[in-house]
Amino acid sequence: MQQEPRGRKLIKIAIAVLSLSNLFSIGSLKAEEILHIGAIPDQNPEHLNRLYKVLSSELSEQLNVQVRYKPVTNYAAAVTAFRTGDLDLVWFGALTGVQARLQSKGSKVIAQRDIDEKFHSVFIANKKSSIQKINNINDLKTLKDKRFTFGSESSTSGRLMPQYFLNKAGLQLKDFKGASPGFSGSHDATLILVQSGSYEAGALSEEVWKRNLERGRVDPSKVFVIWKTPSYHNYHWIAQGNLDKKFKKGFTKDLTNVFLRFNKKSKKQKQILELFSAKKFIMSKNENYNQIETVGRKMGKIK
Amino acid sequence: MKLIKPVSTLLTLIPSIAYIPILIEIIKGFHIGGLNIIFQFISAAIKPSFNQEVVKSAWEGLQITIATALTSWAISMLIGIVLGVLSTDLFWKSIPKFSYLGKFIKYSLAIPRSIHEVVWGLLFIQILGLNIWVAIISIVIPYSALTARVISEQLDSFDIQPLIAIKQTGSNIMGSLITILLPKLIPIVSTYGSYRFECAIRGVTLLGIFGLGGIGTELYLTLKSFEFNEMWTCLWMLWLVIILLEKFIRFSRSYLSDNISLKNSFLISISIFTLSLSLGVGWLYNLNFELFTPLSFSYLNLPSFVEIRNGFNSLPLFKLIITTILITLFASGIAIGTPPLLLVLFPGKFPLKVQNLIWIFFRLIPPPLTTILILLFTNPNIYVAALSLGITHMGVMGRLLTDNILNQEKSIYGAIKSNGSSKQSATLYGILAPQSNSYLAYGAYRSDVILKETAIIGAVGGVGLGWQLQESLSSFDWAQVMIITATFSLLTISGEFLFNTSQNYWLNNSTNNFIS
Repeated sequence: MQQEPRGRKLIKIAIAVLSLSNLFSIGSLKAEEILHIGAIPDQNPEHLNRLYKVLSSELSEQLNVQVRYKPVTNYAAAVTAFRTGDLDLVWFGALTGVQARLQSKGSKVIAQRDIDEKFHSVFIANKKSSIQKINNINDLKTLKDKRFTFGSESSTSGRLMPQYFLNKAGLQLKDFKGASPGFSGSHDATLILVQSGSYEAGALSEEVWKRNLERGRVDPSKVFVIWKTPSYHNYHWIAQGNLDKKFKKGFTKDLTNVFLRFNKKSKKQKQILELFSAKKFIMSKNENYNQIETVGRKMGKIK
Repeated sequence: MKLIKPVSTLLTLIPSIAYIPILIEIIKGFHIGGLNIIFQFISAAIKPSFNQEVVKSAWEGLQITIATALTSWAISMLIGIVLGVLSTDLFWKSIPKFSYLGKFIKYSLAIPRSIHEVVWGLLFIQILGLNIWVAIISIVIPYSALTARVISEQLDSFDIQPLIAIKQTGSNIMGSLITILLPKLIPIVSTYGSYRFECAIRGVTLLGIFGLGGIGTELYLTLKSFEFNEMWTCLWMLWLVIILLEKFIRFSRSYLSDNISLKNSFLISISIFTLSLSLGVGWLYNLNFELFTPLSFSYLNLPSFVEIRNGFNSLPLFKLIITTILITLFASGIAIGTPPLLLVLFPGKFPLKVQNLIWIFFRLIPPPLTTILILLFTNPNIYVAALSLGITHMGVMGRLLTDNILNQEKSIYGAIKSNGSSKQSATLYGILAPQSNSYLAYGAYRSDVILKETAIIGAVGGVGLGWQLQESLSSFDWAQVMIITATFSLLTISGEFLFNTSQNYWLNNSTNNFIS
């Protein structure tokens, strides 16, 4: 056989060395335990990234462990990541929280914000639509045959409770224009879609509506609130049941106390509270979400 | 040369009839409310964001996508080649006693490939959690099975006389098998392999849209928060990378096929696979993925018989199946019908080149994103889902057609045109006609792919089995998830059979083979 040119031989050797060195350079390092935190992606990723960056650094400082924020792209993914143990501590909505607790034995509610005890959704409408402000829940019927959007399909304030009140008023999902509502995916998206006129009306969390109002991202000449729902329990922190074993005895309690102690005297904590639109965090317990569980089962979102 | 049959030429145009119902429905539901957002979206194309953070995270997303694609591609090719050879009749000729094994492998591979990679992803994420292996496994399962099918079909279509001849000389059977198989395997692997690599990039991007990371996740998040300038940064970067990759692959393929002997090309194929694999794995590792920590399984409670029966009763399965079939038909109509239509409407060399570039672009936008955009100005229905699926695959079909025409001889076109025919009819008979049979054959294969992809488009468009899958998954109703996945699998297996039959029909009448 003809001798191979030197160059080609060299290339072959180089390829072999490269492949091998690539595989060998990979050591298996066992890192120290990390507290993985997460949240349902209910708002703009840009807002969440800012919020959880500050929170991670504050928790890390207070608890003396590494804290890492793992973003997910939809609500169900947050529940799944909690069940599979990829997330240790998650900021859930009421519905996703119940879903998560039912699937992860031992996990528990540790805290909520002051505003979560009496949480509201708002129904909003585009000014160009013929929709009027309403005073009575039964008037939600005026939304029949309108283009209507919810937030995520697993959102408590953006779908579950609004749908519950719509049903109470005698309106079903198929009564909207196009025989089904839209699912924008998040509260911010709902606002943009209704304000621009893509949808004539929609429902979102009052908290997100207020924050956008404060930041001047709501154009009052284009969009307005038509109705505010009665109150219900919403967002809360849920921790895995194994954190004491994973980190140290009493870790879950320490973690809870860190949240409960957050106040506006510390600069970082003030920023966190502001990003959470809260004055403080308060205690919460599993039983607070029994009503949501009942509604969730009725609508088939909890089996 | 075969006689040109204008029948199949006209047939390539007929699918575009699908536009009529789609446009009627879309115009019926049309409202100007979303127009300013669409305008923002389009104008953002020429001013993508150059913000350092944005470019950085897009670049990181791209790296994740490419590295994941590279890893899963290499693994799926290796498994696919082995399974492919094992499912040929040719291979089992040497061990006839066990030939039923070959048949068994061949038919059981229909199941893994009947389910779309995104559906695999959504299922595996439930068991393995947020892990880069979920993306890799979800690509490897269907892609290995697809590769195996192509390889076994191609190998079995060759003449087996030489093998019998070698066998009769009494030489080692395995050795002779390799001598016969290898020269046939390599060209298939090199053409089909590079096509599958591109598919892998598309696949991983799609998985990203469903939350598995990479450029897909970036695209989805920027679109969902209406940061169109940032979205275009990702989209343009993806486009650029794909074009460069394509150029690189084409160049190296033609270089290798011209300069390398058979034995060396075998060695090179092997080193390409190992190099891709180690490059992909090393790259992912450098991007801080914990590839080597053992996987932890979280088991799901399998639904009981009663739950499954309840699931059957609570699902409108018949309606979901019909919707899914309708989406497939309409989307295939658009995908197959548009490129020839444009070709006839705008003939000439320059328009052809423009069309070629447009198709590359359309092919690139993942269908769920198109759906979200179309939904801004019309109501969700099956036509929206069909249109968005159709648009992406129209890109694939159009690219193929224009590429082949650019490489085709112009003699027939010249002859017809010099007879005094118009440019249009010269294009119809001189350019389109020689391509049409193989184009239709490829179209049949595309319809097969479209059927599988309805799974992911429905999830966004609010219709069909895909939407129900998403809804059942977010309610964590495993009985329903099981029923829907099984229905999907059955539907695609029957679809595959149907499209395969029609594909063979067009191939047998073809003058120019696209697929091999």
